[in-house]
Amino acid sequence: MLTRVRPRRGDPGLTAFALLALGLYVLFIIVPVVMSGWKSLTDENPIMAQSHFIGFANYTQMTHDDALAASLSFTLVMAGAVTIIANAAGIGFAILLNKTSLSFRMMRTVAFLPQVLSGVIVGFVWRYILAQDGILNHVLLALRIIGTPISWLGSPHLAMFSVGLVAAWVLTGFTTVVHLAALQSIPVELYQAATVDGAGRWQQFRRITFPMIAPGTTISVTISLITMLKLYDIIAALTGGGPAYATQSTALYIINLAFTDDRFGYASAVAMLLLAISAVIGLSVTTLLRRREVDL
Amino acid sequence: MTTLTSQRRSAPPTAAPVARRRRPWTSRGRLVAAALLTLAFVSPIYLTIVNAFKTQDQIIQNPEAPPAPPTLRNLSDALSRPDHIVQIGLGNSALTVVASLVLIIPLGAVFSFWLTRRSALFRRIVLAVFAAGLMIPPAVVLLPTIKILTFLHLDHSYPGLILANVGGGYLSFAVFVYSGFLRSVPAEIVEAAAIDGASPLRIWWKIVMPLLRPATATVAIFLSLWIWNDFMNPQFILGPLHGQTITTGLYLSLGQYSTNYAQLFGIMLLAAVIPVAGYLAVQKQFIAGLTTGSTK
Repeated sequence: MLTRVRPRRGDPGLTAFALLALGLYVLFIIVPVVMSGWKSLTDENPIMAQSHFIGFANYTQMTHDDALAASLSFTLVMAGAVTIIANAAGIGFAILLNKTSLSFRMMRTVAFLPQVLSGVIVGFVWRYILAQDGILNHVLLALRIIGTPISWLGSPHLAMFSVGLVAAWVLTGFTTVVHLAALQSIPVELYQAATVDGAGRWQQFRRITFPMIAPGTTISVTISLITMLKLYDIIAALTGGGPAYATQSTALYIINLAFTDDRFGYASAVAMLLLAISAVIGLSVTTLLRRREVDL
Repeated sequence: MTTLTSQRRSAPPTAAPVARRRRPWTSRGRLVAAALLTLAFVSPIYLTIVNAFKTQDQIIQNPEAPPAPPTLRNLSDALSRPDHIVQIGLGNSALTVVASLVLIIPLGAVFSFWLTRRSALFRRIVLAVFAAGLMIPPAVVLLPTIKILTFLHLDHSYPGLILANVGGGYLSFAVFVYSGFLRSVPAEIVEAAAIDGASPLRIWWKIVMPLLRPATATVAIFLSLWIWNDFMNPQFILGPLHGQTITTGLYLSLGQYSTNYAQLFGIMLLAAVIPVAGYLAVQKQFIAGLTTGSTK
């Protein structure tokens, strides 16, 4: 263990280098958070010459901001639903692809591809697929599943569904690969023993596979949630937050408040709220899933 | 009923063959199912590729058909635009990725090595603070980050963008990967070097860095992908007037050509080809890096 080594004498060169790294991190993560906290108590706006300390007025205002409520419920529902769907799909997909022959290895390679593309490309490709005259309607019409083209991105409810679909698609690439690795760590003997004991497929999944991939699920679920809570680029390219702000994530709302409306103070207050929500969800879910790993 | 159950219970040898016969698919069936599902899953990527080689008419009439005959017109159009948005974007993105990595890798590695030489309590606190960097949504720190860069006279510039990359959540990721990896480095190696009179900085460079090569590969692979695909930081830190990275350039041109699909797919293919080729080239290390920690 390297961590047992105690410094025998001063190591100024190393310390200087390390403090530079620490300083940069403080400057670009810690200081911005503190600045956000401070600005959230002001009415700062680049149009005005001076900003004033206004106490918790921004926070009071948040309680009757309908746009904020809508963006929060959209973000949280998306985070929950997409995390569950992407992880369930990822586990299923991983089990299906968990073979070592060449064709399965190739499938595994391409299954990760959605993760390699930038959110901007993903958003635009799907915008093309989901357009009124897009390929999805084209196919559904040809198969006579629908009679008239559906406006996947044009109506608020369907647009929310579409954002969820696209986000789940991207995340499934990730959850599949993580769960595949977790599956490969399960000893084959466990399944052999279970088969001898007469356990069926479902029982083997329930009693062996699912508990044994728990460490993978912990990572996969946590990262899915974090990704969804910061979701910005896919939405910017797919819907721009519309129609009628139906798909405006909280991250997008903060950006709009800050860079379109120039309401720096209020944007900072919403940023602090998103930070608090991310911290609470991130920490509690990680703790819960870690405990579950032990229990299973 | 009762007799049947008891009969089954008393005759375990038949249980296994029954279970085997009930398996829902044979291995060929599984291959077909996996192939169909994988094809459906990556169909958006297939569309991006085939439509990049089709004319606008071909795209509208037969969006899902392979390009027959294929055309290179979209790619040459994208590359011969008077604003050179593709070439400039690729160049700027490459510059940003390389400069960010050249700074993050040594800083992250030195910092993690330095941490191993501090007390356990100090190390734990610092790592917890760095974990926050992975969870904080970038939208939360964006506005203050721009303020800080303005204060340093680095706003709307590549040095500013690179500095924000180096100090932000990416550094957290590097520190986590390196710290995890350093735990498995035997203390004796470093102790021996210290007895021989090597300075800590020299030990880091001559001994620790070569040992950390797999961790460096993980950090380099993931950070290049994330920084290459990043959209929010270049969009706001760089701003529209200071050249484009490939993601912001793509976003801009997609806004201009919203119905000229042939042109759009040409640009998208050119924007995607580098990360996808990179992924396919190093996919083994990629998956290995992704899945460390998902298995125990």
